[in-house]
Amino acid sequence: FTACSSCPGAGQDVGRSCILVSIAGKNVMLDCGMHMGYNDDRRFPDFSYITQNGRLTDFLDCVIISHFHLDHCGALPYFSEMVGYDGPIYMTHPTKAICPILLEDYRKITVDKKGETNFFTSQMIKDCMKKVVAVHLHQTVQVDEELEIKAYYAGHVLGAAMFQIKVGCESVVYTGDYNMTPDRHLGAAWIDKCRPDLLISESTYATTIRDSKRCRERDFLKKVHETVERGGKVLIPVFALGRAQELCILLETFWERMNLKAPIYFSTGLTEKANHYYKLFITWTNQKIRKTFVQRNMFEFKHIKAFDRAFADNPGPMVVFATPGMLHAGQSLQIFRKWAGNEKNMVIMPGYCVQGTVGHKILSGQRKLEMEGRQILEVKMQVEYMSFSAHADAKGIMQLIRQAEPRNVLLVHGEAKKMEFLKQKIEQEFHVNCYMPANGETTTIFTNPCIPVDISLGLLKREAAIGPVPDAKKPKLMHGTLLMKDNSFRLVSPEQALKELGLAEHQLRFTCRVHIQDPRKEHETVLRVYNHLKGVLKDYSVQHLPDGSITVESILIQATAHSEDQGTKVLLVSWTYQDEELGSYLTSLLKKGLPQSTA
Amino acid sequence: MPRGCAALLPGVCAALADPRQPGLDDTCLEKLLDWFRSLTWFDPTVELVQDNPCLTELISSVLALPEPSPSILSFTLQLAGILASSESRFQHLQQEKLLERLFGQAGPRGRAVWEDASVRSGWVKGVHSMVHHQPALHLLCSEGGMDVIFTLQGDPSLFVASAASQLLVHILTFSVESEPSKPLGTKDCEWPACAQMIKRHIEESLQSSSASRIEQSLKLLTSLFGSCYAAWTEALWLDIAKQIESFLMEETVQAQHLLANLLLNVARSPVFCDTEGSFWALVTSALEHLTPVQAGPLAVGLLKLCKCPQDVRIQALTVLLQPMDCILRAASQPLEYAGLLDESVSDPVTVESLLSSKTSCAGLLCQTLAHLEKLLSLKHLEVDLPCMSLLRSLMAILQFCNGFLSPASPLGSTISRNLINCFRVQKSALDVLAALSEKKGCDTLLGSLFDVLLAYLESPNTSPTVLKKAFQATSKWLMHLQELSCSSSQCQRTEKILKDVFVVLQKRLCSPCWEVRDSSLEFLTAMIKCLRDQDEFRQCLLSSEVPRLTENLLEDPESYVRASAVTAVGHLACITYFAPESPVLGNQDNKENTVAKLQEILSTDSEGFPRRAVISIFTKWLREGCTGQLEDTEQFVSRVIQTVEHDLDWEVRLGGLELVEAFCSQTICQRGLSECPYAPAPSAATSASHQQDLLQGFCRAKLFGFLFRSLCDCDKPVGQRACDILIGLRGNFYPMSTLENPREIGDSPAGRGIAWLQRTLRQGSLAQNFPTGGDNGVDFQDPESMMVALGAIDLLELHDELNKSSDHVEESPQSLLQDILATVGTIEDNEVDCY
Repeated sequence: FTACSSCPGAGQDVGRSCILVSIAGKNVMLDCGMHMGYNDDRRFPDFSYITQNGRLTDFLDCVIISHFHLDHCGALPYFSEMVGYDGPIYMTHPTKAICPILLEDYRKITVDKKGETNFFTSQMIKDCMKKVVAVHLHQTVQVDEELEIKAYYAGHVLGAAMFQIKVGCESVVYTGDYNMTPDRHLGAAWIDKCRPDLLISESTYATTIRDSKRCRERDFLKKVHETVERGGKVLIPVFALGRAQELCILLETFWERMNLKAPIYFSTGLTEKANHYYKLFITWTNQKIRKTFVQRNMFEFKHIKAFDRAFADNPGPMVVFATPGMLHAGQSLQIFRKWAGNEKNMVIMPGYCVQGTVGHKILSGQRKLEMEGRQILEVKMQVEYMSFSAHADAKGIMQLIRQAEPRNVLLVHGEAKKMEFLKQKIEQEFHVNCYMPANGETTTIFTNPCIPVDISLGLLKREAAIGPVPDAKKPKLMHGTLLMKDNSFRLVSPEQALKELGLAEHQLRFTCRVHIQDPRKEHETVLRVYNHLKGVLKDYSVQHLPDGSITVESILIQATAHSEDQGTKVLLVSWTYQDEELGSYLTSLLKKGLPQSTA
Repeated sequence: MPRGCAALLPGVCAALADPRQPGLDDTCLEKLLDWFRSLTWFDPTVELVQDNPCLTELISSVLALPEPSPSILSFTLQLAGILASSESRFQHLQQEKLLERLFGQAGPRGRAVWEDASVRSGWVKGVHSMVHHQPALHLLCSEGGMDVIFTLQGDPSLFVASAASQLLVHILTFSVESEPSKPLGTKDCEWPACAQMIKRHIEESLQSSSASRIEQSLKLLTSLFGSCYAAWTEALWLDIAKQIESFLMEETVQAQHLLANLLLNVARSPVFCDTEGSFWALVTSALEHLTPVQAGPLAVGLLKLCKCPQDVRIQALTVLLQPMDCILRAASQPLEYAGLLDESVSDPVTVESLLSSKTSCAGLLCQTLAHLEKLLSLKHLEVDLPCMSLLRSLMAILQFCNGFLSPASPLGSTISRNLINCFRVQKSALDVLAALSEKKGCDTLLGSLFDVLLAYLESPNTSPTVLKKAFQATSKWLMHLQELSCSSSQCQRTEKILKDVFVVLQKRLCSPCWEVRDSSLEFLTAMIKCLRDQDEFRQCLLSSEVPRLTENLLEDPESYVRASAVTAVGHLACITYFAPESPVLGNQDNKENTVAKLQEILSTDSEGFPRRAVISIFTKWLREGCTGQLEDTEQFVSRVIQTVEHDLDWEVRLGGLELVEAFCSQTICQRGLSECPYAPAPSAATSASHQQDLLQGFCRAKLFGFLFRSLCDCDKPVGQRACDILIGLRGNFYPMSTLENPREIGDSPAGRGIAWLQRTLRQGSLAQNFPTGGDNGVDFQDPESMMVALGAIDLLELHDELNKSSDHVEESPQSLLQDILATVGTIEDNEVDCY
């Protein structure tokens, strides 16, 4: 068995997550992400490394998507509708529901660009989603007769899951992105003690010592509050679904507690949409939200209202969540342009921005932006970066390893140099191998699988009857014929095997020559041998046949005179394999020679 | 290089070489390399490096770093390679021996940093860019570079290994082709030194006992023959052909699929198209010796070739048809049907054993079916496909899969056990079935074919993905059925089939699974599109429950289904309420109901897909003249415009503009005005009155407000489209020649409004924001004002502005340089975060 993992995509945190795992002859692709930083072929993983092995649909047994972020699912419609993969795709129910929204969002941004070809259409997104098989948590899904998968809760975002992939007794766990600490709306990742042969874990924050979440939240609220107090407007560019909901809950509770009056708006249409999905998938949120849901739905915000374009010009303070998250188009950019010139206002960027976007520019400190038509936009408003994304840190990764007890660990999504520390720690603490393959590198892991074998009832009974009574503590040796057919192993009696395979039985006899010194006639020598054996082997049936040969059970002994030396007799001893022990015993007995005088 | 960039470049270079700076995003470095590639592509002069000494300084300072970061070193290697792609720049860089220090023995090759895959990758890419002239090749060879590349072919990183292989192909081609031309023979000494090295390396690898070395060389040869069609490749082939043949015969090497790829690429090369004998004999023996799975891709590739000996083609086809033949024989009683193949040609044992095995059966069939689908899609195929038998075989496969066929023969029952409920095979078979519908000669089997299809459509065991393919195949074959000449018995049969189809469809439209409901609606739409003119079809459809169920789905909880229902209802309306000969004609209530329902979806549905579907159906109706008399149409358009104007989905707004465009061109045609500016002009008087009518009509439909406001839409494509439409409209009211010289605006109240509009647009199209409060006296429904606006506003200028940059992701090199400078300038390292 070899489980090889290679990433046709880049392994940075905004990169294309895409891992290929071969386990016991099955090939599974884990995630199919895109790189937001490129506008050409480089945005998708290079699938030609897989197509070298023949048609994709024939080569891959299935594709598994861990969650709806584009760096994990963005290339999926391209892969299934344009590259031509037509096999099964698995993801959780919420991921299947939310994925198309984000894909549509991204498609919009992309086709907005001129001359954009080689990109999927809305119809393709739909056709792709129709191929997806949605799975429940902890439900064992049989992909085919040998391959099964199972999803575990991963926190991170709504619907995010870790997947266990199992073929026979070999298994791999892929974590996707996960979070080991519960937050305001999601719970913590959890997995069985499933002891996989390999755990593939993300390690985005493997080396980041993050300031406490509470601190970050306090800081965020303080900044928003201060701005609103001095009459300024706060813009928070976000993606449609995901961490935005966490921030909404945070602000909503704060507004409630502080009894604030400034309005909070969320990009129109999206509040309803988000609300809809969180209601639909309430079981995927954390305990607190689920418990209070009956009395009050946490996502039905009292203070957060739908945004209208006209509100941006309203005087007075306000907080607006607007899409898209990198300030590169649409509503968020429109509002940014209106508010940028006023130093009382603030923009809070809660996520990563790719190079070239306004978001990236202002985060890197640029304050004079050249907009189209050579207009210069002077940014006087305050610019803040605040990360709220939910990944496991080094402590969380160790915790998950402790939970799952894997035999090997493979870290992806991180810089090799920085991860070295974590790798050492894992190896020291858990005494398992830890790998960190670079992009495009294959890691091979050897395992000693125990292979289940079916045994025929007849054989079992027959073998059980022989020898001591079966004892659970003592392993019992059984004899039979191993049939390997159609990927299954069966132990059957030799007769049955012959019958099934349509083979004729052949008898194998072992023959051995023993020279003894005896000048007498041949038949006298035979008689001497017969008497000797009869004396030694009291429990066996020793016979002297009329043709001059001796049999001891199935063993046959004949004597001839040596062609050159009449004083030497040659004993031909032959036996079947069933009597091998007795045969070799007899030969060694005869080799010692005959007793000097026999009566 | 633009001056702005030249000014920024030294700062960027200094920052890149500074080890204290935090690491840059890899995409920035990649984009920077893209830019240098574009700068050097057409310009071999030395100026770039001469005028920007910072570039050489960057290289030497990175070289001087004791421990450069892998990403910067990789970048530097690639940059140096790109710069050294022309001889003059190569010499310039070599003045300080920079290239030798980067790519030679003293370079990173021997250092610890070489362990990092990105450095090795950078080195290979750098060399690839550099080797475009002899001095570069010389440098590489003299510094032992070739051996490094040979080693890198087996690199643990797929990317590096594949790049190294590509590099060898490039070097071999360059080395041979840059020498003065003389025909190359198989003798080594006739080849240029570097080519000799590679040739010898290939030969040695092929003869070695190492499987991985053999594989590497096979891959290298495959890409060489796939990319280079020069005559000298024949000499190389002659050298290795024997070895390749022995691999095929002895089967000692487990690289059969690589051999198939190689042979296919050689077969494709024009160099070998005329070769009589030896090469094609090898191909023939490959088809014999490879397993059906390995030979499949080779066979299908051969069948696509224009020039290929006919006997090879027939053999290739045999390879593909063998599994189908085997299926057919396993499925049928002896002598019931002639098989697909003449038995003497094929040895069925291998295929039979593959089909008998659970593990290989589905794989072989899926692959074969995929190849057949490819063949069926080809316009020209030089061999005849036995379509009828193929169809029989396909039907057998489909029946094996759903358990409808379990023959008594041992092979048949094994195959049926192997295939039962196998979705993969079902999907592939249905794909081929759909493709086969375009071939002639299968008509006698239509009855049983539809039985098979209907069984799939009906069965609750059919998975949604399989069902979708079954629908697709059914609609293809229904189309085929329609094309057949209609005798009365034929008509009866068609009617029966259609009735059965609608009964199934009724059930499927009520499926709890949204994917099924959606595929059913798509199927319905596809049927209406191609069968709408057929009486039987219309009757069957209208007498079934399907129309009612379809309308119900307009309220489906799943937005994708609502959208498909809108499309289906829209198409249904075309053959019911809007069709002149329709039996339901005159039912004005129904018609208004449908329109009102769609209108409601357009204004209230919370999801974009159904709204987009409504607007495109409205446009379709308008184009097909379904919306009634002109007066009605004006009202209809104005109502729709008012709804979509504030839609949050840009594609709905864009759809609204399409509707406007369709309306305009239709009205212009109906009013007798030609859309074509070059058409003979009607007399001035009639023309003027027509124009007046037209303008009034457009104003009544409230077009102009929508169009002018759309120019400032926050989504660029909307603005661009609106501008295109306005330019087109202007052409109807003003001569084309005036387009470039907008009229002056007179000083009237209307004129002042328009002047304001002009100013607003000039700023607004850039700021993408039309003022929300008040229109400052612009009356968008006043024909006179609009005439002035069309004449005075410089639409061409707006058009250029809107098209200048259609996205906000700034892609200019200057912006990139600024971003890099700004990023390295920030003291705080913003934690890169995955959102």
